[in-house]
Amino acid sequence: MSSWISRKLAKINGPLAPVAVGTLVAGFGFIALYPSASSAQSNKTGNLGNYGYTGSYLYGSNAQGKSGEGLTYLKLNPATIPYGQSLFVENCASCHGVSAQGTSRAPNLQGLGAATVDFWVSTGRMPLADPSVQAVQKPSRFTRTQTLAIDAYVSSIAPGGPAIPNVNLGLSNESAGESLFSTNCAACHTITGAGDALASGVFAPSLYSATSTQIAEAVRTGPGNMPRFGPSTLSDQQVADLVKYVNYLKNPIDRGGIALGHVGPVTEGFVGILVGLGSLMLAGLWIGGRAK
Amino acid sequence: MSITERDDSGASHPAIETVEGKRGYELVVAASFMVSVLATVGLGVSYWLGGQPQIEGALLFVTLGGIGIGMVAWGKYLVPQGPYVQERETLKSEILEREAFLESLERGQRQLGRRPFLGKLLGLSVGLFGIINIFPFLRSLGPQPKKALFTTPWKAGALIVSVGGAPITVDTLEVGGIQTVFPSYDVGGAISQTVLIRIGDTNWTTLPGRETWGPNGYLAYSKICTHAGCPVGLYQELTQQLLCPCHQSLFDVLTGATPVFGPAPRPLPQLPIYFDSKGNLRAQAGYDQPVGPGFWERG
Amino acid sequence: MITQTADWFDERLGIAKWTRKSLNKIFPDHWSFMLGEIAMYSFVILLFTGVFLTFFFVPSSKDVIYNGSYAPLRGHSVSEAFASTLDLSFSVRAGLVMRQMHHWAANVFVAAIVVHVCRIFFTGAFRKPREINWLIGTGLLVLAIVNGFLGYSLPDDLISGTGIRIAFSIVLSVPVVGSYIAFFLFGGNFPGNAIIPRFYTLHILVIPGLIIGLLTAHLAIMWHQKHTQFKGKGKSNRNVVGVAMWPAYAFQAGGFFFLTAAVIAALGGLVQINPIWLYGQYVPYKVSYAVQPDWYMGWLDGAMRLMPSWEIQAFGHMIPTVFFPAVLLPGITFTVLGLWPFIEKKITKDDLEHNILDNPRDVPWRTALGVGVLTFYVVLFFASSTDVLANSYSLSLNFVLWGFRILVFVVPPIAAIVAFKVSAEASEVPSTGKRKRAVAIMRSDVGEFYTEDIEPRSPAHEESIEELPEEIHYHLLKANGRELVTSSGGSIGQSDSLRLDSDTDAGSRQIPGVQIVDHGFFGRKGSTGGRSKRNIIGRKRR
Repeated sequence: MSSWISRKLAKINGPLAPVAVGTLVAGFGFIALYPSASSAQSNKTGNLGNYGYTGSYLYGSNAQGKSGEGLTYLKLNPATIPYGQSLFVENCASCHGVSAQGTSRAPNLQGLGAATVDFWVSTGRMPLADPSVQAVQKPSRFTRTQTLAIDAYVSSIAPGGPAIPNVNLGLSNESAGESLFSTNCAACHTITGAGDALASGVFAPSLYSATSTQIAEAVRTGPGNMPRFGPSTLSDQQVADLVKYVNYLKNPIDRGGIALGHVGPVTEGFVGILVGLGSLMLAGLWIGGRAK
Repeated sequence: MSITERDDSGASHPAIETVEGKRGYELVVAASFMVSVLATVGLGVSYWLGGQPQIEGALLFVTLGGIGIGMVAWGKYLVPQGPYVQERETLKSEILEREAFLESLERGQRQLGRRPFLGKLLGLSVGLFGIINIFPFLRSLGPQPKKALFTTPWKAGALIVSVGGAPITVDTLEVGGIQTVFPSYDVGGAISQTVLIRIGDTNWTTLPGRETWGPNGYLAYSKICTHAGCPVGLYQELTQQLLCPCHQSLFDVLTGATPVFGPAPRPLPQLPIYFDSKGNLRAQAGYDQPVGPGFWERG
Repeated sequence: MITQTADWFDERLGIAKWTRKSLNKIFPDHWSFMLGEIAMYSFVILLFTGVFLTFFFVPSSKDVIYNGSYAPLRGHSVSEAFASTLDLSFSVRAGLVMRQMHHWAANVFVAAIVVHVCRIFFTGAFRKPREINWLIGTGLLVLAIVNGFLGYSLPDDLISGTGIRIAFSIVLSVPVVGSYIAFFLFGGNFPGNAIIPRFYTLHILVIPGLIIGLLTAHLAIMWHQKHTQFKGKGKSNRNVVGVAMWPAYAFQAGGFFFLTAAVIAALGGLVQINPIWLYGQYVPYKVSYAVQPDWYMGWLDGAMRLMPSWEIQAFGHMIPTVFFPAVLLPGITFTVLGLWPFIEKKITKDDLEHNILDNPRDVPWRTALGVGVLTFYVVLFFASSTDVLANSYSLSLNFVLWGFRILVFVVPPIAAIVAFKVSAEASEVPSTGKRKRAVAIMRSDVGEFYTEDIEPRSPAHEESIEELPEEIHYHLLKANGRELVTSSGGSIGQSDSLRLDSDTDAGSRQIPGVQIVDHGFFGRKGSTGGRSKRNIIGRKRR
């Protein structure tokens, strides 16, 4: 018995030996020379050197500006009011009335503030394409100058309402913004800002194409079904922090690879089943074949 | 090439031939293994340089895939595939074996069976041991529910504050605003979380008997969904509805958060609130009913 | 060196004797037999990557200030579990790849089990003698789903924390004992601070231990009972036709393990899954929209969404609405699934041993039932993404939800009826062979035309091939029996049963002519690779 096994194994044993020894030597050499192999347990110090990591995922700055400086408000130029008026009469007055007093078809805009008008016009939601459904973002019909002129005209009719905010991203903090975003915004816009459907044909839109000013305007004015966050709910600095985090979400660190639209387990499940199991079943088809 | 095998019983088996003339497949197998080796070297280099998830994943794919394809191709194209036939054994034991087994079993039972009292005692001691010793384990896992599910930390006069701890005044929310609030002594509490919504400027009565519960258009509801306990955070201002993100229950804010759509069975409990002499928002009392999802003891 | 080692072991364990039997084991060829293997290999990958993760993950709800390398969360108060998962993803070498491979492997693991169960069901492979293995398999499916949920919850991120909150409500909904179980499990009212370490123990120790135990039993029983096989030439209820364990099958299966690992590694490295750094720490009052569980919990989530708001209140007690979709539905599902072999036996009164698989089309009623039930769960699964579907296709959420409430009752019966019609139409009529038989038109010497069957498949011919081994087997058993009778003689006592145990292997060898029915018997195959050239017991086919 033993001699039978010896004979069988002797045939395999010979040529394998040098390969095996070579592999072992190479492997141990690699381990011995491996850089900073001693560091293993993570800590909270954030000392990247501990892990030998040289990647570039360090993102943004921790710089925190003085409170309130992250957000300033735009002063509109009164000289543009006549130009704004002509644009308004041409494009908006048919529904909102010549002096923005509102009609049966559209609401009164007086006293809503420049930020409200600016948000609706600059995101292309106004003029409205189809009054029966929720206004959607589309390319604006106006240039920035034209939009500001309309803003100036409407806000000149009646005082009140928030002015157009201007975000200084250099003075805002995305870490504080994350906290505010997850508390106040994620419930509708999802934690990744991808947006989702609310009840009765209402949608919380994706935030990825909104500009800093538009995000701040939306927070302050609460367009459509969105709640309104005034200065006593969210301070100017908090709005700036929030905007910085939303801007981060437009192009977040996707260290894991393809992001699958940032909609979470739904797409992940489909990929797992269709791509993962699917390709393995094809491999199985190759290996196992069909019934013979 | 043909090998004749001879096993230890001395019987000569029909020989199994190896598959010949498969030079192409041999090359494929060799190439697969070589690709794998190269990718492994690349993986080593990548680790050395600090690693990068996508590079690691791609190289792992090539490394493992190379080995896999090589092995499968080797096993599929370079060795005979048969088909070979193997007989099944009868799973059921032979009648004599079954009889012998039953005989042994019965012999043992006969030998034990003479002392039925000892057997019962053994059962009692082991069973009791098992049952009694579960209790310290079970009881240490957590407290009894008692009244915990019926109450919340809210009580009369509790100062209502935001997540940041700031008291709420009449000006805190604009009309159409929403904020998550807590009693000042339980900020961030999972059970006491409450949504504060401002629906207008004047006092609002959601339901008869709640005439004083909505001062200056402020309404406060428990944020815990009555369906499965998720935070009901989606406020649709135009339709005055609260939507639960988990299972899409919809509550009508103006009429006491009654469920109008989806699986939630009960309204969100409303917190009676008032503005004190300093203008800070306070709770008139705690919730008048248990908050959150249903449970057995709740009548 | 290897030679001596093998000798050393053989002298002590006799490995040559029983490994030879295993080396010669026959595995039938069919791609659908690979589904269970995908599940098993995914599980092995889960073990490997999981062990890696345990070295870095800290299962603790204790608050720490995160100050690691992911800037947008710096300065946040997070749990140690969340912080260590972040560090694992950003600072540990290959940590993120391992974490993502673990998650993808879990998704593939459960998916492979589900498809494997479908294969077993539709081909009737659960029938006698394999009922026990079906029960074990059902247990494995439940454990896999539960462990998936536990593992998904461990990072303590916003999405999974919401899932734990729902789980608490589900446990709470169990009549009579619900609130006690919930409080004991969570160490108090929600959220408590015990759930992460407890889930951890369950996730890495208790449930994997159970899975390993049941998986071992599953494989051992399968090994002992041998594989089923589809109908085919030379295949009978009493044999297995296929490739040998060594080396063909071992290389193919081993290679398949590496291929499974390769696919999961590719997903793990290239496709992002569960980016918890974007989700942030779970805080009870925070919530994100589009919260879904991993796919294998989707049907439960969907059922919870579709369930109307019925809550039973009577006699001072309450049965909450979540009880029906989240406790009762899975309870019924897995009970009926596990007991299906016994239920079917009640229906068919079939107590025969089945080693030949049904073609699903030949048993239309079972196929229809399976398709109908499966469709029901698939609809529920899609219902768990009502919000995402409404958003993607710009539909009203209410419309989508009502649509699913109707679809879940309308689609399954339709699917079942269609499946029944299709399989009944396609099924083979018994005793007539294939529906279309190839016929050759021949011309005789005198110029007369006539037809002749190509490749005659007369039943008599088939049977003679199939029954031959049975005769041999019968002889073996008779020989064994005679040996028992003659040698034992008198009463059967302890010494006799001992002799029986030791006799099973050696006994067969002592009888002349028995080697040919050894477990490792090989038919002979021609070297040219033609499939049809095969010897069965020295008798040439075709």
